[in-house]
Amino acid sequence: MSNENLVMEIINNLGLGFSSLMHLTPLLMIVIGVVVGIMVGVLPGLSPSIGVALMLPATFGMDAMSALVLLTAVYLSANYGGSITAIAINTPGTPGAVATTFDGFELTKQGKPMHALMTSLTASTVGGLVGAIILILFSIPLASLALSFESYEYFALGVFGMTIISSLAGDNPVKGYIASLIGLLLVTIGFDTQLPFSRFTMGIPQLADGIEFIPALIGLFALGEIFFSIENFKILKKDVSAKKAIRKNKTLPLNKLWKLRWLMLRSSVIGTLIGVIPGAGGTIATFIAYNNAKSTSKSPEEFGKGSLEGVAAPEAANNGSVGGALVPLLTLGIPGSASTAVLIGALMVHKLNPGPQLFEKEPGLVYGLFISLFFANLVMLALGLLGNKLWVRIIEAPKKLLYPIIIALSFIGSYFIQNSLFDVGICLAFGLLGWMLKRGGYPTAPVILGLILGKMIEENLRLSLVKGDLSEFVTRPWSLIILLLALVSFFLPIIKKRFNPVKK
Amino acid sequence: MRVYKLIAAIFFLIYLGLLFYLYRGLNRSEAYPNKPITIVVHSKPGSSIDLMSRKVAEVARKYCKEPLIVENHPGTQGIVAMQYVMDKKPDGYTMLGVTKSFLSTLVVNKSHVAISDFLFLANMIADPEAIITNNKSGLNTIRDVVSQANELNGKQVWIGPGTGSRDYLMALKCWDVMGIKAQWVDYKSGPQSVLAMLRNEAPVYVGNPSDILGKDDLKIVAIAARSRLESLPDVPTFKESGYDLDESMWRGFALKKGTLPQAVEYLSEVLKKVSTDPQWIEYCQGAYSFPDYLESKTFSKKIDDEMSETIDALQKAGLLNNYVKKGSILLAAMALLFGLIIFFVLWLLIGFNRSRFTYSLLLSGLFIWVSVFFYYQTLLFAIPAGLNITSPALIPRLWSILLFITSIWNLINVLKEKNQPVKRGRIKLVAEILLALLIYFIAIPEMGYFVSTPFFLLAGFYILKYRKWPVMFTYSIGFVLFSYVVFQLLLKIDLPLGALFV
Repeated sequence: MSNENLVMEIINNLGLGFSSLMHLTPLLMIVIGVVVGIMVGVLPGLSPSIGVALMLPATFGMDAMSALVLLTAVYLSANYGGSITAIAINTPGTPGAVATTFDGFELTKQGKPMHALMTSLTASTVGGLVGAIILILFSIPLASLALSFESYEYFALGVFGMTIISSLAGDNPVKGYIASLIGLLLVTIGFDTQLPFSRFTMGIPQLADGIEFIPALIGLFALGEIFFSIENFKILKKDVSAKKAIRKNKTLPLNKLWKLRWLMLRSSVIGTLIGVIPGAGGTIATFIAYNNAKSTSKSPEEFGKGSLEGVAAPEAANNGSVGGALVPLLTLGIPGSASTAVLIGALMVHKLNPGPQLFEKEPGLVYGLFISLFFANLVMLALGLLGNKLWVRIIEAPKKLLYPIIIALSFIGSYFIQNSLFDVGICLAFGLLGWMLKRGGYPTAPVILGLILGKMIEENLRLSLVKGDLSEFVTRPWSLIILLLALVSFFLPIIKKRFNPVKK
Repeated sequence: MRVYKLIAAIFFLIYLGLLFYLYRGLNRSEAYPNKPITIVVHSKPGSSIDLMSRKVAEVARKYCKEPLIVENHPGTQGIVAMQYVMDKKPDGYTMLGVTKSFLSTLVVNKSHVAISDFLFLANMIADPEAIITNNKSGLNTIRDVVSQANELNGKQVWIGPGTGSRDYLMALKCWDVMGIKAQWVDYKSGPQSVLAMLRNEAPVYVGNPSDILGKDDLKIVAIAARSRLESLPDVPTFKESGYDLDESMWRGFALKKGTLPQAVEYLSEVLKKVSTDPQWIEYCQGAYSFPDYLESKTFSKKIDDEMSETIDALQKAGLLNNYVKKGSILLAAMALLFGLIIFFVLWLLIGFNRSRFTYSLLLSGLFIWVSVFFYYQTLLFAIPAGLNITSPALIPRLWSILLFITSIWNLINVLKEKNQPVKRGRIKLVAEILLALLIYFIAIPEMGYFVSTPFFLLAGFYILKYRKWPVMFTYSIGFVLFSYVVFQLLLKIDLPLGALFV
């Protein structure tokens, strides 16, 4: 097929999709989906995939279009919503928002939460739109990218994700390494990746499946931060000056956002491409985008101290990954992420087989879904602008009232993932760990990084070992490229620091 | 402040109403059924058993007085869901979705739930195991697979999710029946295996017919069923090629043993009616499965037989070992506890002298101890020989050695540092908050979320030296009302009501 024909076909199909979307129910579903999604994202403990799963039963009675549109809208906006609490209270509402805390919460501490919130909202919208455009134009060639990734590339990607610790570590890299190794060790607890037995459980049955990730995340960030700031009596001072600062920085000059345009675009593309790779996921994309932003930035020293770039990059990547994750779902019938795995269930309920046949048999549906992504992004932007005013008011609330409520929210958030009080205990234990690390000057983010990437690294290294040929790590082009990138991104910050030490 | 007093009073009244509503008539006793029946499912929404249960719930609406509601309790391959049902009263209002994979789960996980704890109501559906190949591989029939296996002389690779899974046992059975030798490579999950198949990375994948849904490149070579599937009339069975293999992933329902007889009877009747409903049969065919209704007695017999078969197969595969040397678990747990106690005692004794130096020293000591602890445990692994795997000890050892090295490095850094005093922190406040948290944590399962949360919040505000009572009441009760509306009403997540009142 010539290029011209392909373009014509896409335009025709987009028209078809547009007309099948333009009914009251699907449009209403987009709005509902975005509202639910933002709420899911904001509440710690509810990740996008849990949000989509919770909404799934409600869609069984709907037509396929409304169901898909609703669930994707939830997925998309939950990825944005997670950043709100990351910025406001240092509690990533979703795993994808971990990287947003690095600079987002710093900005809040400086009294500029509105700057961070606006940047995150804009970057999320840009990411979502770029992801949708890439999905429409390049889903077929990208499918082959998704297919070309074997265990070697997954391993390389996991290692690449880990290298961000060297740019996170700050003055004392050893402490960063230790924190990440603790995460990596803790994630080996539970079911072995190849044998039916659980490692390191010490006879505790609830540990057989390993440490549930989200309670650990909430504990480490939310509770750890609260314990730490209670200890340093930040909350006992009257927050008058903070309030003044928030009032002063109520709006973000648009030219500051405009300066971030290329970074947002680039990060969106990174997010979409990594989102395409099944099982890699948006969270890794956010770390890689953050790392990329820092290493290409003109002012890398501001990262971790409240850089707008540090908020824009992970957020754009996170929402870009949504469009990416839909690529393998629609072209190969393979879920690209935990959320799209639930979407497969939704397709099957409506007797639709995910995969290439879907494009041929139901072009109206597929392209309607594509167009709905644009609408969902715009609705998200509009609601986000309204919401930001509300979030800032919450940030202004006295910490003495806010902290106990955050703790209670963390408890429910940990509870309802498996309806298990054991997970609440995990949350508490990680809260203590986070506090212990923080007061010792250890960064907590590398622990989470280890928890996220440890499984991926181990599973794929061991699968590659079983397959036998280790030279594939360097003979396969993608694997070699990613491993080289990992080397550079690990050693570059260290070398840079050696040669031009920044004195403050 | 007056406004807050008013709001607090209104919230309090609504809260009392909510408590009354939540705890009203929890102990009704009238004719069965008089309230919705819960189906507990062990995996996330959208999984096969979840979709099946939801379909049953939908069709059952025609035959059952009360609605059936599906609840997901994922975790530990079903143990979490089984335990959840075990913890409920045997009143017939909690039904468990069961599947064949539970057999291995129960054998492998040494949990206190046993197969004899359940009363198996009925089987509903059967997904035949299938041998799947890629069109491009040239393996179009089961004969092709066998001849390639013989050619490669044991080097043919079969893939699937998990070593010791149903699919793994199916592969072993196939090799046995077909008289071939092959290698199993564990791809961890269904989707990852299917991806590998789409890349034509391995010749044979053991899965279920629905795995090829929408994928033109994949082909089912044979299904392990008594007859062909109506929805896939071109796919032959193993029997047709002369191999006696009948293996399927069945899915049905069970109750806790000792459930009221009238409930058992009622639910059996409902499921029987569902099994013949055209809507149900259509669903089964759409999912490439057999509608396979078995009533309680035959179902239980089948489970008993398959249970002993599963134990045999796992034993033969060398997967029923004690993977950790006996007695060492307790020892390890004690070592962990001992180490942590020492750390906390030392911390309390010397960490409180506000010196960063001692704290850093203690912390690096703890990390060194953690690395040694993990490494020591990997020495206790007993790994069965003859499996195509890498050692489970490999990665943990790597991380613990690295942690050991970095911690020593860190220790040296700490020792080089001067003894710098730390800002005086409010450790007492943190300790108070922690105590409140601990009490809250213990109180939730007893008193329930809705009763214990306001107390915790009030205590929290108080500890942090907030003293405006009307505001405190407004926020604490308001938060509980908010969580009821958001979690229970909108997202349909049940918050614990507490053992004392239920």
